Amino acid sequence: MGNLNPTKTINSIVLTTNLFNSPLLHYTVNPVVYRLYKKGNTLSLAITCKLKTSQDIKNEENNMAKKILLSGSAPPMVEEGDKATGNREVQVKARSGGDVMGLVKRLPRRVLSVLSNLPLAIGEMFTIAALMALGTLIDQGEAPDYYLQKYPEENPVLGFFNWRWVLTLGFDHMYSSPVFLGMLVLLGASLMACTYTTQIPLVRVAKRWNFLSSSEAVRKQEFSDVLPRASVQDLGVILMGAGYEVFSKGPSLYAFKGLAGRFAPIGVHLAMLLIMAGGTLSATGSFRGEVTVPQGLNFVIGDVLGPTGFLSTPTEAFNTEVHVNRFYMDYYDSGEVSQFHTDLSLFGLDGKEVMRKTISVNDPLRYGGITIYQTDWSISALQILKDDEGPFNLAMAPLKINGDKRLYGTFLPVGDVNSPNVKGISMLARDLQSIILYDQEGKFTGVRRPNSKLPIEIDGSKIVIVDAIGSTGLNLKTDPGVPIVYAGFGFLMLTTCISYLSHSQIWAIQDGTAVIVGGKTNRAKADFPDDMNRLLDKVPELVESSLSNQSRSIGG
Amino acid sequence: MIFLTLEHILTHISFSAVSIVITIHLIILLVNEMAELSDSSKKGMIITFFCITGLLVIRWIYSGHLPLSGLYESLIFLSWNFSIIYMVPYLKKKKNYLSAITAPSAIFTQGFATSGLLTEIHQSTILVPALQSQWLMMHVSMMVLGYAALLCGSLLSVALLVITFRKFIKIFSKRKKLLNKWFSFGKRKYMNEKGNVLQTTPFIYSRNFYRFQLIQQLDHWGYHIISIGFIFLTLGILSGAVWANEAWGSYWNWDPKETWAFITWTIFSIYLHTRTNKNFEGVNSAIVASIGFLIIWICYFGVNLLGIGLHSYGSFTLTSNCIEENV
Repeated sequence: MGNLNPTKTINSIVLTTNLFNSPLLHYTVNPVVYRLYKKGNTLSLAITCKLKTSQDIKNEENNMAKKILLSGSAPPMVEEGDKATGNREVQVKARSGGDVMGLVKRLPRRVLSVLSNLPLAIGEMFTIAALMALGTLIDQGEAPDYYLQKYPEENPVLGFFNWRWVLTLGFDHMYSSPVFLGMLVLLGASLMACTYTTQIPLVRVAKRWNFLSSSEAVRKQEFSDVLPRASVQDLGVILMGAGYEVFSKGPSLYAFKGLAGRFAPIGVHLAMLLIMAGGTLSATGSFRGEVTVPQGLNFVIGDVLGPTGFLSTPTEAFNTEVHVNRFYMDYYDSGEVSQFHTDLSLFGLDGKEVMRKTISVNDPLRYGGITIYQTDWSISALQILKDDEGPFNLAMAPLKINGDKRLYGTFLPVGDVNSPNVKGISMLARDLQSIILYDQEGKFTGVRRPNSKLPIEIDGSKIVIVDAIGSTGLNLKTDPGVPIVYAGFGFLMLTTCISYLSHSQIWAIQDGTAVIVGGKTNRAKADFPDDMNRLLDKVPELVESSLSNQSRSIGG
Repeated sequence: MIFLTLEHILTHISFSAVSIVITIHLIILLVNEMAELSDSSKKGMIITFFCITGLLVIRWIYSGHLPLSGLYESLIFLSWNFSIIYMVPYLKKKKNYLSAITAPSAIFTQGFATSGLLTEIHQSTILVPALQSQWLMMHVSMMVLGYAALLCGSLLSVALLVITFRKFIKIFSKRKKLLNKWFSFGKRKYMNEKGNVLQTTPFIYSRNFYRFQLIQQLDHWGYHIISIGFIFLTLGILSGAVWANEAWGSYWNWDPKETWAFITWTIFSIYLHTRTNKNFEGVNSAIVASIGFLIIWICYFGVNLLGIGLHSYGSFTLTSNCIEENV
């Protein structure tokens, strides 16, 4: 509590009294209400109507809407005042642009103004967030029977939510349901409308250098101060040193910095639209497919891929044949799997190898717009020698699949294969590293590594495990939306960072020997007064002789 | 073994340093402001910062990968981020209210990480195949940094709400007494107040300028730090999406964890939008930020602890305490 800034207090008192004298405001509201607006000093014409109606927000919104309707030549961006800084410049600019806008038919403009309404956009975002949350709570992609059981009509969740809701609204596939996609489209429309009607005019205004010619106007800024004996030129030099762009005309000065911070939110919106467009293309124009291939076998890419939408068109590369040269795993010292690798060769139609690469998780193969990912694995067969005969291939069957802990097993019959209770040697494997062998009675006999060539005697037969043949699980896809989405990502990262820049504007005017400084900023409002005070402290105080020079030069 | 012992020592030092800092903060709050004490609390936080840094570095050295692969490690990283956020304003030689939020946040995460979880989780785990990527560092550090900043910012907003509404209740009860005397007058006043509080027009603030200033400060700092956190969150989600396109086959999979990260992002973009409108500024945006606070915790812990949507990444399904691969 101890850091009450004395300057600030003085400021606000000065400002308040100043405002009461202001011809713009004295007729509007009673002083008590006025004082309630701490930042009231920046608000001018556009806000005075707000103050009148400030008791009732709803009323105000109606007013705004009416205003837009009324306007034949009235500013179409009236909601500016409500949207953002609400400064007079916006209004002026809007009016000049009004004639052009007047040509546009009323209906689109009405739609625009509704769409660019901030509360609507916020409502859309809340709805989308809620739908997404719901999508994580309801199990997705199950059969209708599942929902019938989970959300029965007799015992609805929260008293109303039963399976009818889920199935009618398509919440069993939330992220492709018409409700969710419709909300996204609406949000996209709002993004465009807001960029067009609000952000672009704001930037147009911010780009202009406008000098304030009256000291009243300068004093009305969010931050203002009076330097008793100073020159506006000195101030300009100091502001330039602090990274401001400084312009001066006669006794008045205008400086700004961080204009990019005004542009960037437009960029953020455009980037979001770009990502949405890319996402749509991904959803409608992709091919996907999964395949599990034992080591040594082939498949044709086109056989695996299936289209996801009506824009999916196959390419030449779909005829490529893929050969799995080898599938192997890397292990940690503790025995756990550290990485999966598949050595793939791609053959063109003419049978020539066009590409060869060893893929692993996080390192996919890309060829002709097709991406092949390493996603899954299993053990397909064991190659064994029995009493030096063979090798035989024993197919492995998955016994238990529970996350990481997989178990595959196979069985080598011993003795009469045709007898009803055939017995044999069981072989189990968790991975390609080691095979666990059990004898006819089911007793553990030993562990052998493939390739170790170390025979094991079980029930009188000599078994050598030659190799364990794995199969690789591959995920294939083509996605024409990725470049667009990535462009959107890059743009979004850049513009989000730039958005953090605060657009600060400073006005100053030489009033006799004093310099009146006013300024405002759009983001770092807490730091701005401190920064300003620090800068203003640097402005040298003029001694008598130079003062007279100063006033003479201004007079001349 | 020497690493483990060192790690143990550092854990305890940082935890006790943070506890001492909290005690000092409480003393300052309850008794008077004492310059020496606040100075020592600052030193305590610096000690904590270096201890946690040492802890992370040691884990990095002996596990051979970035210490970001499990819940314990990410919690330690979170409290490290809190201590960074605590340090930054001090480096800029500025006093602010952030330290009152960051120090307790650091102790809670640090305390939870050291004592709240089972000791097995403390063991440094091996890196599953999906996590072996350059993107791990970028993605996870950005996400956790983003969470830390957003948590601080939304806690400031919660503080703002508490201060605002406590006063509102106080005045409301006073007004009730008046109601008995001048019924109609009191009612009108009450209606006015209700409107005022909704728009955060500081009718009440004018009674106490210091409080008004405090709320303004909280508001500004909350906005400031949430903006930074939002940038980190954006970078984190986008790098996660690019990573997912390398590892999982699609840049967006509607996995619960990433969906909740996106919900968090949406909520805080709502917050940033409410800030552009004078009507919503203050209490309304603070309410949004407080919702965001809950959402972050759901995203960070809830998705894993509730076990909704266990990650099914082919066969490489990851254990539920490895939370980082989920986004």
